[in-house]
Order: sequence, then structure tokens, then C-alpha cells
Amino acid sequence: MKEKEINVNINGKDIALPTPMSAIQAVWHAGYPMVHGVGCLEGVCGACKVLVRRAGGTEITTELGCQTMTEDGMQIIFLVFPTPNHHSYELSDLKNSWETQGHFHHVFPEAAHCRHCSGCTKSCPKDIDVEKGVDLAVEGKFREAGELFLECVMCGLCLTSCPERITPNHVGIFCRRVSAYFHIRPSNLINRLEEIRKGRFKIEY
Amino acid sequence: MAKGISRQAALKNYHANRDKTVTPEELDVPELLKKFHPDYDETSMVSLQVGPNKGDKCHKQLADLLQSDAMIDEADLAGAPVYETDVLVIGGGGAGCAAALVAAEKGARGILATKLRLGDSNTVMAEGGIQASIEKNDTPQMHFDDTIKAGHHCADKKLVEKLVMEAPDVIRWLIQHGMQFDENQFGDLVTRRAGGTSADRVVYYRDYTGLEMMRTLREGVLNRNVDVWEYNPVVELLTNESGHCAGAIVMSLNKKSYTIIKAQAVIMATGGIGRLHLNGFPTSNHIGATADGLILAYRLGAKLRDIDSFQYHPTGMAYPRHMAGSLITEGIRSAGARLLNGLGERFIDELKPRDCVTSAILKECAEGRGIDDGDGVKGVWLDTPTLERENPGFLEKRFPKVLLTGKMCKINPKEEPLLIYPTLHYQNGGAVIDEKGISTVPGLYCVGEVSGGMHGRNRIMGNALLEIICFGRIAGSEAAELIHGRGHKKVTIEHLSRLRRELTHAGLPMVSKSPALFPDYAKQGGGS
Repeated sequence: MKEKEINVNINGKDIALPTPMSAIQAVWHAGYPMVHGVGCLEGVCGACKVLVRRAGGTEITTELGCQTMTEDGMQIIFLVFPTPNHHSYELSDLKNSWETQGHFHHVFPEAAHCRHCSGCTKSCPKDIDVEKGVDLAVEGKFREAGELFLECVMCGLCLTSCPERITPNHVGIFCRRVSAYFHIRPSNLINRLEEIRKGRFKIEY
Repeated sequence: MAKGISRQAALKNYHANRDKTVTPEELDVPELLKKFHPDYDETSMVSLQVGPNKGDKCHKQLADLLQSDAMIDEADLAGAPVYETDVLVIGGGGAGCAAALVAAEKGARGILATKLRLGDSNTVMAEGGIQASIEKNDTPQMHFDDTIKAGHHCADKKLVEKLVMEAPDVIRWLIQHGMQFDENQFGDLVTRRAGGTSADRVVYYRDYTGLEMMRTLREGVLNRNVDVWEYNPVVELLTNESGHCAGAIVMSLNKKSYTIIKAQAVIMATGGIGRLHLNGFPTSNHIGATADGLILAYRLGAKLRDIDSFQYHPTGMAYPRHMAGSLITEGIRSAGARLLNGLGERFIDELKPRDCVTSAILKECAEGRGIDDGDGVKGVWLDTPTLERENPGFLEKRFPKVLLTGKMCKINPKEEPLLIYPTLHYQNGGAVIDEKGISTVPGLYCVGEVSGGMHGRNRIMGNALLEIICFGRIAGSEAAELIHGRGHKKVTIEHLSRLRRELTHAGLPMVSKSPALFPDYAKQGGGS
């Protein structure tokens, strides 16, 4: 039995598909080359940002092209643009964890200016509560903020939607990094490093 | 090939038999590999006719690229802008970032050129974890023995020694750069067991280990004094008058123009080969995994090893079709998920080395006990529901990515088993290197998947993430040490004349050009 054709419009081109497939596969299927905006094809690299409108709807969502399954009447536009970061910091500049909060506001001065427009949260293809993450970071709750960014793939959509030029994804990664840098001190690993330093292990072939 | 059991019938068998506990019979491993592993398919192998590995067995598709013409000649370089740096890192995955970071920390000027964006790599997709012997009942020696044994005693022992002894410090280094790992309530790192190993040794962060590693290292590189050139794949290497690697030519994907980068040391970290779809297999690899670095190094005279040996990961998604090749982490078998054939029976100890498990799956399918829904949808079950029933909430906590994959397929892994089939995953061999990460060409370092020797002819889970950081760091440090006052005076692509002479001598047609950069279906459009 022949399945019903799926008609979609991608980057302004009408494409007819014999079976459901991802937005990227659909572009290739139609015979258009595409390498910009393609990456891991598993939803973890953040290369394939798309705008999507579904049939009959007016809402436009932001998603990842490799994770977006085509549906009849769908309109898709690939967003291939750079997402530059204008912040810079080195973890090694942080000498002790008492200074982290001050340092954070020094590196990310805009973070405290959040207008709570929730643009970042709405734009996140991973459904992260981005705005809350920024709030927590501003309060100095770095571990909790970092946890929220667990699934962040650094696609940069939140960054492009922020009117205050906050870079929420980089805020999130900062929070995650300082948590590891200051607080992960596993005794099993440290013991083994110490044993190796004392020359306790020699490899025999 | 024998037809298998339909998906519907197999689901029925699954529900009828899933509570049975049957120990699968022991299989004769050498016999199994010989009959069913794709590496042993003699018809896909040819003998190389030119270059340092002349006469060696090599997969036909790779041989075609190794023995094709270069993309450029002298005329293309006329007027090309020239940049100069100390260390040129090629590739923006985990190995490249580690190398660039360490070289920069040591004060070297660096450029990192990458085909797509920084972080676009297989690293970001790694799920299972990274090996380091840190538990009391484990030692670096056991890690060494497991690696050697799983690699069928073909690995370079000096490299493996370096790998296992450095492993705990690699984890420390990652934490110091801000990478998180899963801990227990006492703050110890939790470990899980990799297939074919003798101790719990894999440390991890959920099933997002690679993602966590990559976003940490990417942030590290962007905040360092490293010049990152995105969308700039390398299309050829350069040498000085004495054959020392002296830089590379990159092609801007945006401008389609060439740039010459002169460097005192080059670190090749371009990864693997999955997107060549060897033997027609689906792949778990990133879109850019087309063996570019391997080919360029070979042209420059770098010796390769084990280029007829590849890893087909046992558990790639097989249904629905649009997900074909996507990886389900070995971590889930390590946590107890079983493999069941179309009859609902176990057929292999799920934690045997990857090549055994893969061959066993191919055997089930070949002998008609696999699930076959026609149209290329075939495989065996990965029994995730039993895992969830025995330990409710477990999948949510440890394997969020598996659930996400399920969501994409409209299958709930808590209730329905996943149909899986082996997927081309890893290049076991690669450029020959020494303990400093240097290839047989002076000035050219090769690290990560593009290098060979660490894994012999089969890699165990968690040794790839370990290798990229371990040797990435070493190469970055060594390359930075190598820098002296003045750069190379003259750089050439003289080696291409030699290549073309040899190809003509061997009667090879110079119709195709390499490196491939992307698979055809992405470059030209067409089915994937």
C-alpha cells in the first residue's frame, strides 16, 4: 500500500516526501546539497536550528532540524548564522569559591538585567527553563543553575533571542564548569592519583 | 539471506518469553568473527598499490580515497593568502580542543581549523563514558590487560601503557577544566563496566559524557588565545624542503577559496571514517567523518596500520528507518539490558567485546532468527522494558538520551524493546604514532581516531574518549615544546608530484579527488 505523500516547504522550496523523515533528510531527499547547518544528526551538536510552522497553526517554534519530523503542510526554515560570544573568562583566574559570585557578575554583567521576557526559554529546543537558570546564576546558585542546563547543546538560540544580550547558554556552562572546578573532589580518583605518583604501579607486558 | 521474523510476531514472542532466564550457549569466538564480522569479508578488501603501506590489505572504499588525486595543484595557490602560526590543530573535536588548549597553556600561538563548527565531531555524541582505573579492586595493569586482550593482542603496548597510566590524570584534568561526572552520595566517581573488561572502570556523566566533555572543552578553547577557523576544512598538507610537515592548505566553505597556513607543528585530529558507510552499513558518526586526515597524512608519507579493521557498534537503531544508525549506548547493556532475537531468546553474553556481540547479532539475522520487517528494517531487540520494570525510574535517571531517542521514534523504551542493528562506529586503526603522538612524518602529530595502535583490532568502550584527551594533551604539549624562533622558510606541495607519479605508474585512474569532506548525499542531495 502506498502511503500518502507528505508535502512540506523548506527554505522556500516545495518538497514532496514519500515517508516521514527529519527536516535534514527531507532536504537531501529533494536533491538539495546541505552541509552548513548539519552536524551530529542525533540532536546533541546544535548545528541544525530551524524555524517551524505546522499546518493550520500560526505559532512558530524553534527546533533542531535533525529532530524535527516532517508533517504534511509544515513550513521549515534553517537558521544558519554564527552565535558569537562576547564574554571571556578563565577558570584558573578563580582562586577560591568565595569569589565566584563576584567574578560571575564581572564576566556576565548583563545577566542581572534580565527582563523576564522568557524569549530564551521559549526558543530552547531542549525545553530548558533558561530564564530560571539565568536567575539562579544571578543569585549565585551555580550548582542548581548548572543542573538546569543538563541537556544544553549550545545551539545558541537563547542567545539570539535575548534583548539584553545576555548569553544564557554560556552562563549555563559557566555555572556547570565552576561547580566541577571547585566541588568535584572524588576520593577514589584522588587516592589512585596519589598511588600513581608514588610509583606504585608498573605495567608488565 | 534467510528471511527473519516480522516485527509484530517478534513483539508477541518478546512478551511471551521475556521473563525466562536462559543463559546463552558459549559461541566459538574466532569462528564467529570469521564467518560474520564485516572485517573478514575478503571481497571488500584490496591491496594498496601506492604509498607507505603498499601491499597492505585495506578496505576498498578507503583504498579508493587513499589512491585518488589531490584536490589542488600549484595554480590554485597563486595569490592565496598566507598565515603563519606556531601550532596548527586540524579538527575541532575532543582531541583537537585538548591539543589546542594545552599548546596555548604552554604559550604557543595556535590556529585550530575545522571543517564545520568548533565541537562538530563524534566526541559530542559519545555517550557511554571514559575509562580510568580508579576503583580499589582495579589497577592500571588490569586496564592494560583488558585493552590488549579485546584488541586481539594487536595493539601497540607502549601506547596502551601510556594510555592506562595517564587515565586517572586525564579525569582530573577534565574536572579542572570544568567537566562534571556522576558521583555517589560520598562524592566518589561512580563507575560502570565496559563489555569485555574485568572491572568497573568507566566514569561518565549520564549518557551525555561526550556532550558534557565537548561543551566544556569548547568553552575552554574559546576563552583561550586560540584562533578558531570554522568552516575551513583542510584539503592538503605542506612540507618544507626536508620533508618536515610545515602547515596546511584550508578551503573556506563559505568563500570556496584557499588559504595557506604555515606552522612549525601540525596536529591532525580529524577523527574517523563512518560517513563512508563501509559495506553499506549505517553509521553512528557525525556528518564530517570522512577520513580526510588519514588520507592527507598518507599522502605526506605517514605510515598507517590496521586499516582493514573497523568497529561496528552492536546497538544502532534499526527502526524506524529514519533513525537508522543512531547509537544506543553500551552503558545500557552494562546496566543489564539484554539482547533478544525474534524468538524472544538471548543469544549472546551482552558484555562480550563489541566485535563478538556485533557478529552474534549478524549471525541471528543471517540465520533467520532476527527480526525482519522488509525494506531494510532488521535487527534484534534491546530489552529496555525489563530494566525499567526491575528498577522503576532507572532509565530516567541514568539514560535520558535513550528516552529522548525513543520520543523521536514514538516508541517508549520503558514499555517496548528497541529494534537494533550494528552500526559503523569507529576506525580501529589509523596513522602509526609513538608515545609522543608523532607520526612517521616529522612535524606531523596524529591524535584521536585518526591515529592507530591503541586499540589493536577492536576497541573497548570508554577508551576512545580517554585516548583523545590523553594523546591530545601529549601532542599539544610536545608540539609547543618544538617551537623555535623562526618558522619554515619555504613550504611546498612537492609531495603531490610524487603522488601523481606513483598513481600513474600503478596505472590507477586519477579521476576522483580526495579528501571527500562530506558524503555525497550531503554534498549533492539524494537519499541518506
